[in-house]
This record gives sequence, C-alpha cells and structure tokens, in this order.
Amino acid sequence: MAKIGVMSFAHMHAFSYAACLNELPEATLVAVWDDNPKRGRAAAKQFGTTFVADLGKFLRIDIDGVIVTSENVKHRSMVERAAKAGKWILCEKPLAPSVEDAKAMIACCKKAKVGLGTAFPCRYSPPLIAARNALVSGEYGEVYAVACTNNGQFPGGWFAKKALAGGGATMDHTVHVADVLRWMTGKEFTKVYCENGTLLRHGIDTDDLGSLHMEMEGGLQVSHIASWNRAKSFPTWGDVTLEIVAEKGVIRVDAFNQKINVYNDDALRAEWAYWGGNPDLGLIKDFVDAVDERREPNVTGVDGLRAVEVTVAAYKSAKLRKTVSVRLTRPSKRI
Amino acid sequence: MNVAIIGCNGMGRIHARMASNCGLRIVACGDARLATAKALADEYVADSSDDCMAVIARPDVDIVGIMTPTPTHAQYVIAAAQAGKHIFCEKPFARTVPECREAIAAAKKAKVKLFVAHVIRYFQEFEAIRAQIAAGKVGKPGFVKMYRGGIFPAGADGWFRDFAKSGGVTLDSMIHDFDWLRYTFGEPERVFCQALRRATPEFIDYSMATVRMKSGIIAKVIGTWAHPSDFRVEVEVCGDNGMLQYSSAEAVLSMTKRAQSGVVPGMIVPESPMPVSPYQLEWQDFLTWVEGRSGARVTPDDALQAVRMATAALKSADIGQPVNL
Repeated sequence: MAKIGVMSFAHMHAFSYAACLNELPEATLVAVWDDNPKRGRAAAKQFGTTFVADLGKFLRIDIDGVIVTSENVKHRSMVERAAKAGKWILCEKPLAPSVEDAKAMIACCKKAKVGLGTAFPCRYSPPLIAARNALVSGEYGEVYAVACTNNGQFPGGWFAKKALAGGGATMDHTVHVADVLRWMTGKEFTKVYCENGTLLRHGIDTDDLGSLHMEMEGGLQVSHIASWNRAKSFPTWGDVTLEIVAEKGVIRVDAFNQKINVYNDDALRAEWAYWGGNPDLGLIKDFVDAVDERREPNVTGVDGLRAVEVTVAAYKSAKLRKTVSVRLTRPSKRI
Repeated sequence: MNVAIIGCNGMGRIHARMASNCGLRIVACGDARLATAKALADEYVADSSDDCMAVIARPDVDIVGIMTPTPTHAQYVIAAAQAGKHIFCEKPFARTVPECREAIAAAKKAKVKLFVAHVIRYFQEFEAIRAQIAAGKVGKPGFVKMYRGGIFPAGADGWFRDFAKSGGVTLDSMIHDFDWLRYTFGEPERVFCQALRRATPEFIDYSMATVRMKSGIIAKVIGTWAHPSDFRVEVEVCGDNGMLQYSSAEAVLSMTKRAQSGVVPGMIVPESPMPVSPYQLEWQDFLTWVEGRSGARVTPDDALQAVRMATAALKSADIGQPVNL
C-alpha cells in the first residue's frame, strides 16, 4: 500500500489526482499540505484525509510519495524539499517554467535517490495509445508531418500571472503535445518557430495563444496551436488533437471527443458528457506502482525537461521573430 | 456576349457551365490537348482548338475564361487584354507576383476588365462567417484557423505534381484561405510556413502556415493534398467574447459512389447545394462589373496580394524562417 500526500491544490488537476488516489485500492491519500491553508483544508475534507499546515511536519509523517500540484514557479522549491525528505515525486506539468529549474529538480532527485515523474496523462489516453501503436507497428511508414492543437478555456487565476505561472498558454498547452510527439515518434525536437501574444483575454500579463511550427529529428514537420481560445460558452474545457501525415496514410486523433451532446434547459449551454477512459487514472496508478517498486515513474523528470526546453525555445523564437534551435540538456542517467 | 474557354479540364468545364447559365454563349474552347477542348466544345456546339492564342484572338470573342495551369495564366491574360477581351481568370492569378503585375498592367492599358476567381468570397458559408463576425458574435477576433484539402489532385497531365509549376497545395489551394484572411481581417504582416512537397514514394503535399496580421490576429492555415480520400474545409474564429466553427464534414448532403477500379477523381470541387452556386455568383458579379453596373468583389490587386502571401509562404518553407509581407 503506497502512502501518498498532495502538496498544494493550486492546480485544478490536483482534484482529479486526489480522486484517482481514492479510487485506487493500492494507494492511500494520507495527507494534504498547501501553502494556502483554506484551500488545503477544504480539499482534505473533500477527499476524506488530513490537512497538515506545516510543511516540515508534513514531510516528516509516514508518506512514501507526494504529488506536487502548485503554481508552476513553486514546483522547484517544493520538489527539492520533498526530495530531501526522501519522498517519491510526481510533479504537475510543466515541470518548471525554466530549463534551469527543471535541471536542478532532476539533479536534486537524483542525488536524493528518489523517483521524479512528470504528470503527462496523455500517455495514458486510449485513443492516443492506439495512434501510437499504429505508428510503432510500422503500418503507416515514415511520419512526415503532424498538425496538433491543445486548446482550452481560459483558466484565469495564477495561470495568467507571469510571476506565478512563468508563462502563458504557449507554455501551459505546448508541453502535453511536445511529450506526446516525443513518445509517439521516439524523436527529439530540433527547431521551433512561434508567434504568440495576448489576443483574447485582454489585460493579463501572459500570452493566451501560441501558434508554433517545429521540426523533429529527421526533418519531421510539426504545427501546433497552444491556446486558451475556447469561449466560456464552449461545451467543454478544450481539446488535444493531432493529424498525423505519414507515408502510408493519415491518422486523426481528437483525444477527448468521446462524448455525448447534452442539452439541458437549466444550463442554457450545450454540454459534452465525457464517457472515454480517464488518462489521469493511468498516470496516478503508474506513480503509485513506481513508489511501491522504488522505480522511476514511466514519464520521467527528463521527459518533463524536454518539454520545457521546447517551450523555452518557443518564447525565445516569438521574441526574436525567427526560428531557433532547441537546446537539449544532456539527459541525466536513470536512477 | 461570347465567351472563349481556354483550359478545358475540371475548372474549365465548371466555368463554361456557369457562363452559359448567365446567358453567355460559349463560342470557342482551347486546350493544349485537342481532345479535351473538343469534348467541352461539343457540349456547347462551339469550336475547338489546341491553339489557345488563336482562340483568344477570335474577333467574335468578348470574354476569355482562363482555366489553364497556373504558370500559363499571365501570358494568356496579356494576350487577351491586348486583343481587347474581358478576362475571367481562375486562381491563382499567376505563379509569381511580377507576372501578376504584368498582367494587371496589360489589362489596365487595354482598358479591359480583369477578374480573378477567388470563389471562396462567394461561398455562402464563408459569407455567413463574415456576417457573424461583423455582428460582433465573437467579439474582437484574435485567432483564426483555416483547414482545406484532401486528395492530391490529378489535373491535366498531372501538372499539379510539378511543384515548381503548381506551387503545390500552398499556392494552389491555400491561396483561397490567404485571400479570405485578407478580405476579412485586413493586411498581413508576416508568414511562416512548412510545406512537405514530397514526390517520393508518392506525391503528397501538406502545408502548415501561420500568418500574423497587421492587426495582431494570428491565423493558422493548413492545406492538405496528403489524404487518401475525401475533401474537408474547416474554419474557426476565436474572439474575446465568443468563437465560431464551421466544418464541411457536417455536410447537409453526402453522396458517395462505390469506387470503380482504376478510376481516380481528377479534382474534388467543394460545393454545398444552394439555390445559386458560389461559382454562379462570381460570374454574375464579374458580369455586373463588365456591364459597368458596379465593381467586382475581387480586384486584380486582391488577387496579386493573395499570390504574394502564398509565394511568401513557399519562400518561408524554403528558408525555414518567417517572411515579412
């Protein structure tokens, strides 16, 4: 039985992860810590667990692993504290707003001999797994181009504050797809061009949309839209889509399009009732298993770093208005 | 008025029918392949010839419809202008911007009407999108996504396969979207593009572009000639107070014939059933201009600017950097 704690409910994904922990028989949600005690207490109550206000005390109790779901800029300090306390760690994406932070987190976990995972649940999405299997089988031949989107509704709050998020939609909604493409093709990103800006949610100090063009090893061409462009009245939170153009055919994935259209007169807004598999459950199960088996989670800190390197290059490109190379940090060895 | 059609393959056939529907008489059909010219000419009891220049020069011709491969457009526009004919030219206007300029100068000098068929400006669904934007339904637009394409078109003698001539999907197909972006959202600032243009092991093209408009709007334009089947058009416009989406995949009418062995569709021309087709509307608009009753929705400069955007996109794809417009 893996004993897991959650550090911060600043990110809404924490609520889904906590629900997954309660659903998995092999895991126990032992405690919650949050630098916002009101939020932490409410979450602990919601998930039937204990809130611990003091971080030092939280890290001294009998917990094997922690899930860090704070604001992006706080990931590093929380991960480092948890690593030094010998906890296994699953960190929300993006791993960090900067390459420097991501590298330091990986090094710290390596030194402390604890596992570090990045929360990329798309790797557990059945439609995306099916698409990857088709590519890996060789049935579709060489992949030439992929056009992707990761659109979302405006998350507001700290997500749109540079001091807490470190970046906007270009960061928030590029990392998933960057990881999916690395996982599907086994290739690394080499070049990025990006146009972005605050186009829709005026007055925020981060970008809310990025249009990216990337190249992967072997000349694979990638287009991506990372956005918070979905209207408040849109029937769902957003999407992850890929159109994969390969030698022997085309694969289209709309990963969260397993839904029923619902028209409820009380809501006065069409809604999509999702019936597909829950990728978060696969992500959390792998983390729990990794904690139990004392192994690195399936999606590692280095995977998180690779996605960070792409977003950092995207912001650099948007600023310089030219294509920039993605600088790959030498990967740390697996523990 | 009498019309000559030169280039009698797919688009030539459509435009002959539209001109005829408008009450014009098709008197001559020209095509480098005589059999193609004759097949169309016979439908309208017209003359046929493999000498397009001779067809253009006929004294009984008032309007020349140019539906030949793109790199030949400019020479025929210039010849038609010098012969004093009004001109209805299929898009893209020409292969290069300087060719567009020469063609415009020739038409201006000859005082003839020169119209380039950017038919998307007449598509009812695209006009409905413009109306919704104008009515403020999305608020201030900030993002546009346009998607267009399907199979690799066969074309006469496979001329689309010669990327240097056709410009691939970027010039031939995405020019519709480039023009519509300019028509709807104003002037573009710069473009970045990735275009596959593959000839082996099969001919496929897939092009992904970002256009930054002077207003700051970001537009993503994707064109495909990479799909094994079908044709799809999608538009999405996001603003600060809403968004809209259109997809041709949600078709009002879908008719699919079982494939016959060995028969490949030459070209898929998208159209939704309407009382008046967009191709008809553009002929009507052209004719009101020819008759001096009003200007046309597409000016020769609009058509040049669309070529400018598409050729800049191709340049970007070649150099891997954005190109300023």
